[in-house]
Amino acid sequence: MATATASGPVRDTGIGALLRHRAVAKLLLLALAAAVLVPIVSAKWASGAWPHALTVDLTEPLGRTSDWIIDNRDSHPLFTYFFGHVSNAIVLSVRGVYLVLLAAGWAGVTVAAGLIAWRVAGVRLAVTASAAFAACGLLGMWVPTMQTLALMVVAVLASIVIGALLGLAGGLNDRVFRILRPVLDTMQVLPAYAYLLPFALIFGMGVPAAVIATVVYAAPPMARLTALGLRGADGGVLEAVTSLGATGRQRLFSARLPLAAKQLLLGVNQTIMMALSMAVIASVIGAGGLGDRVYQALSTVDVGQALAGGIPIVLLAVVLDRVTAAAGEKAGAHGQDTSALRGWRGWSVAAAVTVAAALAARFADRLEWPTDWVVNIAPSVNTAKEWMVDHLYTGVPVVGGTADWASHFTTWVLNPVRDGLQGLPWWAALLIVAALAWLIGTWQTALTAVAAMAAIGVFGVWDKSLDTLAQVLAGVAVTLVLGFAIGIAAARSTRFERLLRPVLDVFQTLPQFVYLIPVVALFGIGRAPAVAAAVVYALPAVVRITTQGLREVDAAAMESSRSLGATSWQLLRKVQLPLARPALLLALNQGVVLVLAVVVIGGLVGGGALGYDVVFGIAQGDLATGLVAGVAIVCLGLMLDRVTQPTERRVKKGA
Amino acid sequence: MSEALVTTKDETVAPEGPVFAVENLWKVFGPKAERIPDDTALHDLSPAELRERTGCTAAVRDVSFEVNKGEVFVVMGLSGSGKSTLVRCLTRLIEPTSGRLAIDGEDVLAMDKARLRELRRRRAAMVFQHFGLLPHRSVLDNVAYGLEIQGVGKAERREKALQVIAKVGLDGLEQRKPGQLSGGQQQRVGLARALAVDPEVLLFDEPFSALDPLIRRDMQEEVVRLHREEGRTMVFITHDLSEALKLGDRIALMRDGRVVQLGTPEEIVGSPADDYVRDFVRDVARADVMSVRSAMRPAGSEEESRGAALPPHAKVSEAIEAVARSGFPVRVMDGKRCLGVVDHAGLLAVVAGTGAPVEAAAEAPGEPSGKGEVVA
Repeated sequence: MATATASGPVRDTGIGALLRHRAVAKLLLLALAAAVLVPIVSAKWASGAWPHALTVDLTEPLGRTSDWIIDNRDSHPLFTYFFGHVSNAIVLSVRGVYLVLLAAGWAGVTVAAGLIAWRVAGVRLAVTASAAFAACGLLGMWVPTMQTLALMVVAVLASIVIGALLGLAGGLNDRVFRILRPVLDTMQVLPAYAYLLPFALIFGMGVPAAVIATVVYAAPPMARLTALGLRGADGGVLEAVTSLGATGRQRLFSARLPLAAKQLLLGVNQTIMMALSMAVIASVIGAGGLGDRVYQALSTVDVGQALAGGIPIVLLAVVLDRVTAAAGEKAGAHGQDTSALRGWRGWSVAAAVTVAAALAARFADRLEWPTDWVVNIAPSVNTAKEWMVDHLYTGVPVVGGTADWASHFTTWVLNPVRDGLQGLPWWAALLIVAALAWLIGTWQTALTAVAAMAAIGVFGVWDKSLDTLAQVLAGVAVTLVLGFAIGIAAARSTRFERLLRPVLDVFQTLPQFVYLIPVVALFGIGRAPAVAAAVVYALPAVVRITTQGLREVDAAAMESSRSLGATSWQLLRKVQLPLARPALLLALNQGVVLVLAVVVIGGLVGGGALGYDVVFGIAQGDLATGLVAGVAIVCLGLMLDRVTQPTERRVKKGA
Repeated sequence: MSEALVTTKDETVAPEGPVFAVENLWKVFGPKAERIPDDTALHDLSPAELRERTGCTAAVRDVSFEVNKGEVFVVMGLSGSGKSTLVRCLTRLIEPTSGRLAIDGEDVLAMDKARLRELRRRRAAMVFQHFGLLPHRSVLDNVAYGLEIQGVGKAERREKALQVIAKVGLDGLEQRKPGQLSGGQQQRVGLARALAVDPEVLLFDEPFSALDPLIRRDMQEEVVRLHREEGRTMVFITHDLSEALKLGDRIALMRDGRVVQLGTPEEIVGSPADDYVRDFVRDVARADVMSVRSAMRPAGSEEESRGAALPPHAKVSEAIEAVARSGFPVRVMDGKRCLGVVDHAGLLAVVAGTGAPVEAAAEAPGEPSGKGEVVA
């Protein structure tokens, strides 16, 4: 290698050459390992598919465990004394919140939502919040909305308490933080769908399992942001506080926590949004509420009903996001509040008005949403959908129909990719994973990725996982093409970005589940709609990261190349894209994680593969199949994340 | 170290012990830092050699000095000279590696946590370069923070805070948040917070480095004024030589963790200890630092009773003005006694830096100062 550098023409010097050489060295090493190992394994197991000798059948032991749990759920001390109490406590608190919401009546809840939004975020959001709740009633979804809300309140409170405590420990103690961080980071890349089954197995179908799955899914961001917020506190301020002789407790309460307030509220915001997302998906394991309405409607391809359930979810998501985000901004602003109704006065006015509204509704005997105020949109939506099926699905001149697109996408993209992956010898798949992960990351990430991929084979779901992987790859490719194109356009045109921003804001807050509704309406069911939903879900994040990355490129570098007379295309290609490389890699990573999350949910609308196994497992009571599929999803998620995750060390060096 | 002689304006006050007494203080960062101070073979290494040999960085190396009551003690040096580490060692915000450190004769390094907190709460308060204000609190609550930490009741601490806020010229801004203030105003809040606990010593860590030059000058004058009014002991860290000369009764000049010279501004400028210091003070306007003593010659018999008179601590620049105006030598008068005269030749020699090095100009009344000495 040294001679090559010395004798060859000097085209690439410094770090670039070093990196290239390091990459070559890694690949050579890998090729060497392959040259030794591949003949051995192919001599032993000749076929390209995952060798049967290397699989472990988990279905039977898992099935036995599941049967045992079902048999002993009412008698074994572990359940009666521990899980039973947990379960009861959850049921009681959810029911308690639900009863309070019902007692407040629709008037009380709508008024309360408006007033809370008013106190936290101002008049405009107050109107939006009240209108959103009224719309839920109008759509005839008042009761499911309250069910979802009750579950959310309990799950969010538990998530915040648990997350904050974990975050506090991680923020104050280095060792806890070192253990906590990789766990939380990993939990955040796993698809929500994979969390459902273990809890369904232990607690059975129903609200307790749904609440616990939601808490496990929603607590990590709170813990993470709390820990990071506490750690990120301005060292100068903390030193000043110490220099005045503050005790540890004084330092925590008077400086560290207030300084982290913005991060804490961001954590609350993220926790609420993730809890909503999960509470809706958890309808699959019996959460009830809005998600259940959508789930039931989707399983009979009743788009009208699905939309009636989906709109309240969207409204809830937007209102919750805006209100909590506004609270965070207020905490960060450190402005003065001079209005007469600041502090407790405003809140007591709000509480009094709420009680008055609830009492008024009670005395008027109007606690429940009046049935004659319900607008049933399902029939008209379904008529529209029928019209679409007749006119848009197929045979539209020149462009073809949506169903045609879907089937073409399946035939020409999904099937070849899947067959290609499944036709690949298993050891070649492992090698590719190893090479990709090692080139982008370190040997540790490569090892994790390969181990995760091998685990999929060992659990005997190799082919199904590759089917899911094919959908993910196709989805990611589409997402990146669209996302980079839109992102570059938005980075170049401020006006376009201004138009795009509110759209992205809304799309980024929506729970994964609701994306299934429009794609089923447009494309019917199958693998292509699942991929389409995943693309739509992942697109906003990719666009946003790309735009930000391009915009944050060092202005001095841009200016200097412009002064040298670079065209805007040269500027983009030679300056912006290379300098924004870390952001683009992050966009890729996010794209992969998000696409996977929805592709597996696509099992509900005919996506097949692993996602379907999970649904099937739940529907048929065959938890073993579902659990294995869930584990495979986790492994797939881990592998995809590690393969696309540039190590922090490299990013720091490059930037 | 020789005993410092202290004379104050009130001659009847007996000399007291120093506020801070620092002896052979070391602060070493790195693996097994404790061994460095004891290993005399390592003491003469340059920082780069030391890091190469041991992996350690000695931020403070074998530093000794005393801070006397009522003086402004300036520690001055470039970035990386160890001055900020040194001032943090004084209240153990950074734990010293070895050495002795006493406040009013009490061993600081032997203090337990509670005693140390007591020291930080009531005896030494610090003002920071980047202010270190709590962004979520109003100016009033920031200033009252130290008292709150001590457990003083709300009404009492607010009253006290209001007094201090008025003293630093922030009246009317009590309810603002730090983010709504200019840099200079924020540092006034930092100063007020330190003053509010009525500490025995004020520690300043490059307090004005982050400020614009004009505001910096205002703040320096504020400190001079406060010192004149209250006579509080101050330890002042700076990298700005003119600031050091302006504020300091005595200056310790640091380089690579060592004190290379310790003395009055006049001694530092008039007789630099080595080439480093000489290089450092080369561009100083000497006429504004040196006193007329350094330009003085014995008075002739006629000169003793004739001409304009200046006190011995008057600056050379004042004498230049007087000589230029009258055309005659000026007398240096200590009360009724004539110490000598200065003429244009002596003044020019000082300005040009060709005069003889100054010796102790320390006993001058009106200037509390220790005996200058060269440590290096």
